[in-house]
Amino acid sequence: MSKFKTSRRGLLKGSASIAALAGTAAFFGPWRHTHVYAQGQKKPVKIGFTCDASGQYGNSGQDDLRGARLAIDEFNAKGGVLGRKIEWITADTETTPATGSRVAERFITREDCGFLIGAVHSGVANAITQVAAKYGTIYLNTNSSAPSEAGENCSRVKFVWDGNGTNFAKATVKNAVQSVGKNWLLLTNDYVWGHTTSNATKALVESNGGKVVDNLLVPQNTRDFTAYLLKVQQSKPDVVATAIGGDDIKALRTQVAQLKLEGKPAWINNQQDWPDIWGAPESLFGVFGTTWYHKLQLPGVEQFLKRWQASYKDGPIPVPGNVSYNGYMATKELLRAIERAGSTNNIAVIKQLEGLKVSATDRMQHYDAFMDPVTHQMQQTIYLARRNPKPADNSDYYEIVSWSEPKSVIDDAAAAKCKLVAYDQVPTFEL
Amino acid sequence: MFFDLLPHLLNGLTLGLLFALVALGFMLIVGLMEQINLAHGSLFALGAYFALVIVGGENSFGHLLGPAWHSIPLGLRYTTALVVAPIAVAVVGMGVELLMRRTYGKDPLFGLLLTFGAAMVLEEAIRGLWGTRDYVLQTPSAVSGGFIFQDLIWSTYRFYAAGIAAAAIGLVWLLIEKTPYGAVIKAGAHDNEMVRALGINLSRLRLFVFAFGTLLAAIAGIILAPIWGIRPHMGVDAVVPAFLVIVLGGIGSFWGAVIAALLCGMLVGLAGAYASEWSLLSIYILLILVTTVRARGLFGKKSLLEA
Repeated sequence: MSKFKTSRRGLLKGSASIAALAGTAAFFGPWRHTHVYAQGQKKPVKIGFTCDASGQYGNSGQDDLRGARLAIDEFNAKGGVLGRKIEWITADTETTPATGSRVAERFITREDCGFLIGAVHSGVANAITQVAAKYGTIYLNTNSSAPSEAGENCSRVKFVWDGNGTNFAKATVKNAVQSVGKNWLLLTNDYVWGHTTSNATKALVESNGGKVVDNLLVPQNTRDFTAYLLKVQQSKPDVVATAIGGDDIKALRTQVAQLKLEGKPAWINNQQDWPDIWGAPESLFGVFGTTWYHKLQLPGVEQFLKRWQASYKDGPIPVPGNVSYNGYMATKELLRAIERAGSTNNIAVIKQLEGLKVSATDRMQHYDAFMDPVTHQMQQTIYLARRNPKPADNSDYYEIVSWSEPKSVIDDAAAAKCKLVAYDQVPTFEL
Repeated sequence: MFFDLLPHLLNGLTLGLLFALVALGFMLIVGLMEQINLAHGSLFALGAYFALVIVGGENSFGHLLGPAWHSIPLGLRYTTALVVAPIAVAVVGMGVELLMRRTYGKDPLFGLLLTFGAAMVLEEAIRGLWGTRDYVLQTPSAVSGGFIFQDLIWSTYRFYAAGIAAAAIGLVWLLIEKTPYGAVIKAGAHDNEMVRALGINLSRLRLFVFAFGTLLAAIAGIILAPIWGIRPHMGVDAVVPAFLVIVLGGIGSFWGAVIAALLCGMLVGLAGAYASEWSLLSIYILLILVTTVRARGLFGKKSLLEA
């Protein structure tokens, strides 16, 4: 085994070529189009879905897409919007900001998409926002929950539909400091969402008399958390607050469960996305936030569940969760806003979305929701949940323990950080 | 201070052994066949999925192999999976090797492209067969849970996994260095014409080596599955550190790969505890430093290209 003929240079060059090929292949295809030909001469309204199909948030990206597609199918079944059918196109944004930018640019300039929808990763969402802002294209950030998305990285053309890290932290921190303990340790995914979420948690812990004893930054795509879990044990905190997402949180949950560390210290997982839960409910622990659950006893939930299941009979996840819900709600409200505006003019639609108020019934949540016109973030009911000890069926993973009114969990710091440009500085178009 | 550090050194050691296990099959095929098997990660994943089918249990595949099979104790099912699943993956690996034969002796890029294609086909096949959801591989209670050492809870499974890794390293070393088969395999890599002239069937030899390399990939997949989780793209998590370890250790060097894996494990373990944001990056920095000073890796033999 000592002699070999493969040159290192050849090996590295070859591997680099393969990597480049892989990246290029993912960008150039396969692309998915749907063509719903409009009756008469009316041009269809075209939407570009910037959804991850691979990488850390590949599963969530596709769940987001399923929700958004359902909203379009429902509108098309009623004749579309403004009498025009709705077409859509999607491509894998790969949980990578650079790919997100390229896909957005292509959708706007070559595919004539008037609207972009979809994001889970805040870095990708921010990259898409930059492109959308350049062309004045309305962009719906459906599922990226970094506080910065409606703070320093807000935009006149972007609307944020998920609860953010601050909303979830506000729903949990005060009670936990008082009832569990003052010493907190933060586990933070080392990118925008993780940092901004942990910053919000830290501020809330300190303002409520608690203390952050350490903040361990976890690189994205970490699979082995043993070093962190040893450090957690050595630090002996009362509470561990995590801002870890995607495949990373799945690995963390599995390893915490293996060590049976889920009881002490107490764990608060800022937000858990349903696609990250599905498949490994046995490792679900601690208290966590969400915006929706398919077993909420509220009007419309059961009907929505049935419609969703009828559309995705062979899907990888049999019931919708918060991610698919956000995709559905965002798309539905965009199409309603176009109808109210009576036009696809971007400024007219932006104004409609800025004034958006949605009843609790329409939202399938406990409280009425509204779009904050200053930050462009949907202010909505925030739920706290934990693992369900008595599931009614094999999809009943959560026990909802409380829900907070939108105003009680509002991100107070966002308004000062968000600087929206004036309408006349936004490129105007009508498709 | 030392007692604070000790857990992280121990953790680094176990992690290093796991890195070595992941790299072992990859290293064997590169070192002995001069072929970079980019399907290593997908075969790693396939091993985990095959094991999942055999072990079964809640939230996996129910009773795919029949209720009679699934009524036997978990320990027996798990042991069967550890033996049968790698053999099944080795058969798939043989198929890949048969396809690769036309690339031997040609530009290495052909082999790279073929195994890259095979990786994509395998990953899509996994998605098609088992869907995109995540699964958890059940493990027997004897190797599950934790134990207390130095006031800290340690994962029993992690030490079991490190033990399997150490055993695999030892067995591969014995096979390569201490058996006549190993001698023939090494001779085939050195001078295949002479080996053929001696009447040895080189094609069969290559098939055996490739199958053995994929068998090791599958064992790594089964061992790592309870730690990393099972999902279609889990192979990517394996192939990147495997590639890094063999380049760092020196392509073709068995002990180079093992030492590089231990170094990487130590570095990730210590960085995770004391400079957590650098934990993954640290091994890439190490690779850059080593290859800058010593292009052939830590223990790679001098080649004509370095003249």
